[in-house]
Amino acid sequence: MMDKIITWMPQLLLGARTTIIITIIAVAVGLVLSFFLALGKMSKNPLLNKPCSAYIFFFRGTPLLIQIYFIYFGLPQFNPALTIKSAFVAALIAYTLNSAAYLAENIRAGIQSIDKGQYEAAKALGMTYRQTMQLIILPQTVRRLIPPVGNEFIMVLKDVSLVAIIGLSDLTKVTRAISSSQATALVYIPAMVIYLIITAFFSFIFNRMEKKYSVYE
Amino acid sequence: MSIIRTENLCKDFGELKVLKNVSLTVEPGEVIVIIGPSGAGKSTFLRSLNTLETITSGKIFIDDQLFCHAENGKIVDSMEPAKHKAMLLEMGMVFQRFNLFPHKTVKENVMIAPINVKGVSKADAEKKAIELLSRVGLADKADAYPNKLSGGQQQRVAIARALAMEPKIMLFDEPTSALDPELVGEVLNVMKDLAAQGMTMLCVTHEMGFAREVADKVVFMADGMILEEGSPEEVFGSPKTEKAKQFLNSVL
Repeated sequence: MMDKIITWMPQLLLGARTTIIITIIAVAVGLVLSFFLALGKMSKNPLLNKPCSAYIFFFRGTPLLIQIYFIYFGLPQFNPALTIKSAFVAALIAYTLNSAAYLAENIRAGIQSIDKGQYEAAKALGMTYRQTMQLIILPQTVRRLIPPVGNEFIMVLKDVSLVAIIGLSDLTKVTRAISSSQATALVYIPAMVIYLIITAFFSFIFNRMEKKYSVYE
Repeated sequence: MSIIRTENLCKDFGELKVLKNVSLTVEPGEVIVIIGPSGAGKSTFLRSLNTLETITSGKIFIDDQLFCHAENGKIVDSMEPAKHKAMLLEMGMVFQRFNLFPHKTVKENVMIAPINVKGVSKADAEKKAIELLSRVGLADKADAYPNKLSGGQQQRVAIARALAMEPKIMLFDEPTSALDPELVGEVLNVMKDLAAQGMTMLCVTHEMGFAREVADKVVFMADGMILEEGSPEEVFGSPKTEKAKQFLNSVL
């Protein structure tokens, strides 16, 4: 049994690599996008808040599966210039845009959870809105964002299994391929263990970050 | 020349009229204590002065220059923005709930505005911060985070933070109301020192002892209006209005 698992390992790890890369890039780039979306949605200017709200509504309100299909297969039919040749790049775009929408809501909640007194103190000291956000509000939001971002990270990690539909081989796809070609369910066990190890590793990192930022709480 | 003068300041929150034609003059060096029952509009009045609340109508003058003039909820006249901002910085504010920045150390709390708003160098800001923290008796806490301090200590830091901007007048919005009774004294002592050094102060407080001892003028507010105004002896000794008599009876 062990020898079988060992022979599958190189393939499984290759799949795991795809899973991890898509997850990290989607959450990291999504996080940057989501800051602007959150600030946009909170803006009083309808030219900013309406499009940002619509974006968040759309990406949270439709299945990720359809979003992936649509970006890879759908867009080229509307405009050939929008053709994305690489399935990997299409997947990155889909996951990034999707997690940006979810993260934006977390960021908005984080910003709005900061006490009103912080804005007042900053204003009374003569800070501009921009300075208040940069120096006072956002740094405090970062600490509160770590748990939801960690949560989003783990969600994306598992959602990446959907990329099989556009022909990418992530950990889940590789597992299924081995299972069907060798007619064994045994491969699911090392696959799940790998998922758990990845999750445990990143949970550990997020916990460390949370501790580091908690000195003042 | 007065530092602050208000003319018929009104503030509505929807249907609710919180301030009704409040006119008050603050002279340089004066310590004015505003007392009155809760809901009298004392805090709102203070917060209107440094634009944390937008007034519905009336005029605010700072250094005898028109700072803000509103009619029907709209600002109809105000200083040019640069000057407006400079005038705003002449007012330091201390809040009931301290509002220190929790992610900054005590020293950084005091340094952050001078560096970012006034463009003071880091070294100068630090020197000044240590000096101010010594003045409020907290130099040894310079590198602690606010969560490690008692309420009284936090409020003293908040006073140092406001003083770091070198204001001409300090606004105190119930600075001791959120404190445990045994911590009130240390904050009042800092305020007394400030008053003794000639700082102009406008304090909303329930500390009648402080008002008696330190105030040049006591203002009694109720229902959004100033009902009495005079020396502590006058207001405490012989209140003229029924509301003031009732209030003083209940607190003294």
